[in-house]
Amino acid sequence: MAVRTASSGIPGSALPGPYGVGEYAAALRERLRGFASVQLVGEACDVKVTRARVYFELRDERGAIPCAMWREDFEALGLPQGALAGGAQVVVAGGCDFYPGSAASSPHFSFAVSDLRIAGEGDLLARIERLRRRLVAEGLCEPQKRLPRPALPRTIGVVCGERAKARDDVLAGLERRGWAGRLVWAFAPVQDRHAAPAIGRALTDLASLQELDVIIVARGGGSLADLLAFCDETLCRTIALLRIPVIASVGHHTDRTLIDDVAAVSCSTPTHAAEAAVPLHVAAARERLGRDSARLTRHGRRAVADRARALARLSRAPGEHVARHRRELRQELRELRASARRRIGVEEGATQARGRALARRAAAAAGADRGARERRLDGLAAALSAHEPQRTLARGYALVEDAGGRPVTDSRAARAAGSVRIRFADGTTGARIEDA
Amino acid sequence: MSELTYESASGRLEAIIERLDSGEAGLRETLELCREGRGLVEYCAAELDEVSKGLDALRLDELVARLEG
Repeated sequence: MAVRTASSGIPGSALPGPYGVGEYAAALRERLRGFASVQLVGEACDVKVTRARVYFELRDERGAIPCAMWREDFEALGLPQGALAGGAQVVVAGGCDFYPGSAASSPHFSFAVSDLRIAGEGDLLARIERLRRRLVAEGLCEPQKRLPRPALPRTIGVVCGERAKARDDVLAGLERRGWAGRLVWAFAPVQDRHAAPAIGRALTDLASLQELDVIIVARGGGSLADLLAFCDETLCRTIALLRIPVIASVGHHTDRTLIDDVAAVSCSTPTHAAEAAVPLHVAAARERLGRDSARLTRHGRRAVADRARALARLSRAPGEHVARHRRELRQELRELRASARRRIGVEEGATQARGRALARRAAAAAGADRGARERRLDGLAAALSAHEPQRTLARGYALVEDAGGRPVTDSRAARAAGSVRIRFADGTTGARIEDA
Repeated sequence: MSELTYESASGRLEAIIERLDSGEAGLRETLELCREGRGLVEYCAAELDEVSKGLDALRLDELVARLEG
């Protein structure tokens, strides 16, 4: 390399140079490219697919190397969709490469991958799974789920990135519930190595607020590496022992972090987490309360009115009872009279029929000479009347009677009586007997 | 007696209305249930008012600084 003569070096320095940085970068690239091509094994993280290349990192416990593969070469492998995902154990073949950059662009080191093989479930996932089993075995997934969650919290704490979209989603969820109470934001990094301790501190600080009812931890989707903070053992143990219920919403539907297991509730989106924090729809609850209030009033009024009506009915009952009996008695009397009239009519008819029958039988018993007997009887009656004294008197005879009205039939009796009464046809007169 | 919460109040209110709807409560019980119910309605309405006044957003770091300062 040629030394730049225009700039002098550091006085007293024994090192060669100064060389132009571009020239040095080009030399570095040549040196790196001269490294032997090898195979590496590690866990893939931060997989990004661009139009030209596929970028990812390979990591293990001791270090990490950024990798890049031409998109054309990657697709030629014919891997299943999503096979190269965060946490996948991967073997790559290739060698070092270096983009020296320029005045307008940054330099970039990468391991140029010429071939790739998915080696199976990554250690990262296996480690997470082992930790999950340990937390379950220690019963740390249960305490949060036993905490009572208020139907209508007054104060809600939210842990999220300060400029994260999750923040807006939480607000949208709360608005959907019609909830507008007190909200305490606890902003924290949600994806780098500082994230887990910062989130843990935010949670314990929130839990120390007396009035807080529920806490939401929200973060949008990302690769497994992005979400690793939410699989942190210390953070999980902190959440498990909090006295306030935590609602977790980390990643998307397919992501499952460890705080999803230890939290009281796990939701697929921050909006759903907000809705889970406020189970009640405030406007609907107010409507229902109004209806309940009206029903109470109605029941109260009806209870009094019904009983007042019953009392009024009871107070009228004796009078109505007497009136009803009077009506019944009158009806019975009418029926009795009608029945008697009917009976008399029937008896009259029967008596007349019996009279007619007797007359017929009498006529039949009298026989055929009834007329002659009647005529003889009339003659005898006439003869008898001819002998009546009254008829004799009418012909000019007189009847002499004593004072007692007894007939005087001879002269001696007349003299003895002295005075008599002489009865003529038209009346009676007195007479004195005088013997000359 | 446990502290009254919105859910316990609304649960009790529901039970009261169910009892009143059954028509089995006498006059005295009905009036007592109505009185208790009205108290619960007032409590629930106050709770709903608390979360309907408008969002009151605070920052935890400011609260902590205020408490520590």
